[in-house]
Amino acid sequence: MQTSLPTSASSSTKPEMKEKCDHRADCLKMIQLILDGEATDQQLAKVKANLESCQPCIEMYNLEREVKELLTKRMEKRCCPGQLVETIKSRILSFS
Amino acid sequence: MSDTPTRDDDQLLPNGDAVEQTPAETPARRYTDEQKYQVFNKEFMPHIDSMYNFAFRLTMDEDDANDLVQDTYLKAFRFISSFEQGTNAKAWLFRILKNSFINDYRKKSKEPAKVDYQDVETTYNSEDAESEHTVDLRAESVSDLIGDEVANALNSLPVDFRTVIILCDIEGFTYEEMAKILDIPIGTVRSRLHRARNLLKEKLRDYASSMGYKEENGD
Repeated sequence: MQTSLPTSASSSTKPEMKEKCDHRADCLKMIQLILDGEATDQQLAKVKANLESCQPCIEMYNLEREVKELLTKRMEKRCCPGQLVETIKSRILSFS
Repeated sequence: MSDTPTRDDDQLLPNGDAVEQTPAETPARRYTDEQKYQVFNKEFMPHIDSMYNFAFRLTMDEDDANDLVQDTYLKAFRFISSFEQGTNAKAWLFRILKNSFINDYRKKSKEPAKVDYQDVETTYNSEDAESEHTVDLRAESVSDLIGDEVANALNSLPVDFRTVIILCDIEGFTYEEMAKILDIPIGTVRSRLHRARNLLKEKLRDYASSMGYKEENGD
């Protein structure tokens, strides 16, 4: 697995932060794959690099992550009514 | 009583893979009655809260959610011999619930003039909708939304888009599991999810901007 990122330590040319992304739609798709845990190593490396050099990609990444968190953490989770659990259990018993 | 499912029932059998396997590879599970209850209680019942949430988010009605969950669990018990112990019970159950929803509940849906899903997908499939369609929204704008607002935004999506978001983001299924639950190719899972999220972000943007106005009025 080769995911070595370019190190800018010794170089005097610090990578410029891009203000405009020419591949927004494609980048967005890759970002979603990464947040869903479905990206390939290659996609992962590519987005990693973008997140260090492309402002629109950083913003898209933050938004996608935030929306996913809203869904996982902020939505009310209901418990199945106890009555329903009892009904199912008793109906199952009557099957045999 | 025969263990052989009828042709109709066959559609309910969650393990689509079994069809492609030779009989030798899919021995009929012959559980004793005691084993059936054990599998049911140990592998099926622990998922009942997730199942109830899924049913409620699909039907958006408590009574319908109750009926749907009950029907699903009764079907799961009837077809328990097609469930292989130790495999993915949650995906198996979700698939039965999804099929029951489509077959029994969607037809009698109370929602008037429901948008036909095929139309929606075709619209969003078209090239101009696809190309460079990103929603102009910042993470900070939605970070203060409360659960009810997120739920309302999600509920306003057509059911098939709502479904992929629930399965992926709320229930944490993988694309492969989703493909099996929904009987669609993984590529379709990916693109439907992408479109569903764009729609959701548009709804969230509406909520976020209406909230912005409230703040200006000094609330």
